[in-house]
Amino acid sequence: MTDASITMIKAGPYTTVQDIGRAGHQAVGVPESGALDQAALRLGNALVGNAPHMAGLEICLGGVQIAITSPRRIALTGSVAATMVITDPSGHKVTVYANRSFRVHAGQEIHIQGLSGTNTVFLAISGGIGTPLLYGSRATSPNAMIGGLDGRLLKDGDVLPLCPDMVRPDAAMGSADRMLSDLTVYDAPPRIRVVLGPQDDRFTDQAKAVFLSSTYQVSPMLNRMGMRLDGPVLDHCDNADIASDGIVNGSIQVPGDGKPIILLADHQTTGGYTKMATVIQADLPVLARLKPGDAILFSAISVEDAEQAARDHEALLRHAIDTMVAPPPMNDIASIASVR
Amino acid sequence: MITAQKPEQADGQGGIRFLPAGGHGLVVSFDNTSTKAGALKANMDHTRKARALAGLIRQAGVDGKLSGIVDLIPGLTNLLVQYDPLHISAKTLQEIITPWLDHLTEDSGKSRHIRIPCCYGGELGPDLDSIADQLKLSPDEIVARHVASTLEVAIMGFLPGLAYMKGVDEALYLPRRKTPRARVPALTLGIAMDQTVVYPMPSPGGWNLIGRIPIALFDPNKDDPILLRSGDKINFYPIDINEYHKIYKAYHDGQFLVEIA
Repeated sequence: MTDASITMIKAGPYTTVQDIGRAGHQAVGVPESGALDQAALRLGNALVGNAPHMAGLEICLGGVQIAITSPRRIALTGSVAATMVITDPSGHKVTVYANRSFRVHAGQEIHIQGLSGTNTVFLAISGGIGTPLLYGSRATSPNAMIGGLDGRLLKDGDVLPLCPDMVRPDAAMGSADRMLSDLTVYDAPPRIRVVLGPQDDRFTDQAKAVFLSSTYQVSPMLNRMGMRLDGPVLDHCDNADIASDGIVNGSIQVPGDGKPIILLADHQTTGGYTKMATVIQADLPVLARLKPGDAILFSAISVEDAEQAARDHEALLRHAIDTMVAPPPMNDIASIASVR
Repeated sequence: MITAQKPEQADGQGGIRFLPAGGHGLVVSFDNTSTKAGALKANMDHTRKARALAGLIRQAGVDGKLSGIVDLIPGLTNLLVQYDPLHISAKTLQEIITPWLDHLTEDSGKSRHIRIPCCYGGELGPDLDSIADQLKLSPDEIVARHVASTLEVAIMGFLPGLAYMKGVDEALYLPRRKTPRARVPALTLGIAMDQTVVYPMPSPGGWNLIGRIPIALFDPNKDDPILLRSGDKINFYPIDINEYHKIYKAYHDGQFLVEIA
């Protein structure tokens, strides 16, 4: 047996190493990056006993099959419905639900078949993935070709090193599996909340009204940089050009064709197009879960309400982590699975 | 080095505006004309103020006078302050930085001067001949004017290590291409408006490509992966294709030192 690692038997269409990201270097063009669903990252790391920032696998658009060389605790998060199947070398299979941790053994395989109604799930592994750090982060930015494994999407056969598994001595359940007992953190708001601006004054009043009253659809043109939306076109007063300026996660950029693009974790650090509004931080994890074709509606709130929503979201996350419980033994889970 | 002189009341008259970027970003805009078309002609004075304010905020963070700042992104006419709403509000942030906004000055005395070799035209600069027709200048004249322009890195952005260098000779003023290329090779040099960029890595791009440089702008294996910084003064100098290959090899063997004064 070599050093602890995982092997991507099937890497899936859009799987990357992600962590909390590398904010702080956008002034030299280095994207913030990091997990699209930062809530899933936090919950997954908490379930396996990791520090909140540690690196795992972000799995988008389709499933994966992974072999592991070392006994580790793993957890799948980002969805209430997703499952993974753990297979022994003998062929014995166990189905494990999302939002609980589970001890896997060397030589077992982890198979996540589909994403069960979501677009992105996160697989946390105790110890975390140990690819090289760049600016303190392992997050992959495929467009900037940095982070993760050679700055790219994972492909079949890739081997990812794991960091040593440190069971936190201060954690009461440090050496046991855990599950979330409160899943309200996954509840999606009926409308995605935005703060208008910074360049909403470059749009007609009509365009602002259309933006806040229309149903948009997530276009298939969706990646870690951004999410294009299909729906009514938003008219500019004059044109879509601005002197290039900074972008945050959630900026809603509207180029000359009038079609909005929500910029996500791997967005370019600066851009030269008008921005109608910004999705609030608390609703960014919801965006990660939207699939092409899903409907999306916006409601405008104040800066103060957006900041309060961030605090409320943090409180929900902490509550979810504070109320983790020991899961029922696996044979019970198996019987629950057969009943469902 | 950045200095703040005696604070005076930051006034609406001066055109400084605070604009929201969600509940996690605050834009401090130095340009009160940005609501009108033609905003692309960014004034370097606004850019320098944005950079100077970024320096003050960064220093306040180092000094422990300000916390909750996640990132600072100077734009051509504004500064985007990304903050953590769990630690600070836009309102508090605005109150703290408002007294700093008057007399923002950047000490340009310490800016570096960097000379970068560039192989113009041919396969490495595929647009040189076509823009020569557009500009009614010979390719040689375009190269001569480009190397004679001392450029300043206004801001960095878009990709790791990409510098927006302003100060290109007015005779070379061109819009970006109507249809961007899907893929521009790494280290290709493009011009548009009064600016020059060099793509640090392969990327889609809409600039007019006139050359390529043999040295890296972003190297993740170096302690400081990024060669250029805001405020740097840049001059390109012409090399032929043989020198390009020679320098490329020497650079990658660690035998070519970039001229930084």
